[in-house]
Amino acid sequence: MPTPTKGPRLGGGPAHERLMLANLAASLFEHKRITTTVTKAKRLRPYAERLVTFAKKGDLASRRRVLGVISSKSIVHELFTEIAPAVANREGGYTRITKIGNRKGDNAPMAVIELVLEPMSAKQSVVAEAEQAKAPAAAAPVAAAPVEESPESAESVDSAESAESAESAASAEEVAAEETTVDAEAGAADEVVVVEGAVEDEKK
Amino acid sequence: MAVPKRKMSRANTRARRSQWKATAPKLVKTLENGRVTYSLAHQAKVVTDSAGTPLFLEYKGRKVADV
Repeated sequence: MPTPTKGPRLGGGPAHERLMLANLAASLFEHKRITTTVTKAKRLRPYAERLVTFAKKGDLASRRRVLGVISSKSIVHELFTEIAPAVANREGGYTRITKIGNRKGDNAPMAVIELVLEPMSAKQSVVAEAEQAKAPAAAAPVAAAPVEESPESAESVDSAESAESAESAASAEEVAAEETTVDAEAGAADEVVVVEGAVEDEKK
Repeated sequence: MAVPKRKMSRANTRARRSQWKATAPKLVKTLENGRVTYSLAHQAKVVTDSAGTPLFLEYKGRKVADV
């Protein structure tokens, strides 16, 4: 639950604020990155992240709740089918606010608010994988997993693409050893590839 | 409509205007490529090419926006 906002409403009144936040959220989900004032960006962050949480739930009831805020069905569809899977592994913190200085006309402090769609960093994903491997498997794979993954993490510090290649190489080596863990890792690697492709498309 | 009853003296006018002062922005000192640079904290910086043409805004190694 986001912290309740203090201070005056944005715009002329409560209804105006609701409309502004809904429109800002719709623009954010449509364009993935919008430039606005720092005040609006800060108010938008909890609002938009709550909608992303609904999208990650993904059922019809949550889709109808989001449609009550954002009237455009195409934007809501994009939110549920593209944005929600991209942030599936992320536990909150779906947006990033970067201050970019003051606006020329009225000297208002401006910021860029964007969706954090890039995959989790190599370190975070390794930790998540280790925890996933730890939870279901018995004592034997647990002993094997940290030993196999420690060189990976050392190699994959510099860039995500090298991490990808290191992971694929590591999974190829593990084929002989354990089939079940290899399947899981290969699935994870595939996810990373898909998400990165999406991010690159946006950049183009 | 309210109207001033008395003329504002030159001394009062100048005393009022003398209170309007500029404040220096707080800058942080960083070492970039062996040179000391000063910049505003927690704000994206403009990346320029060798000729000084602004290219884009960058913050913490990430492209933020076009100029």
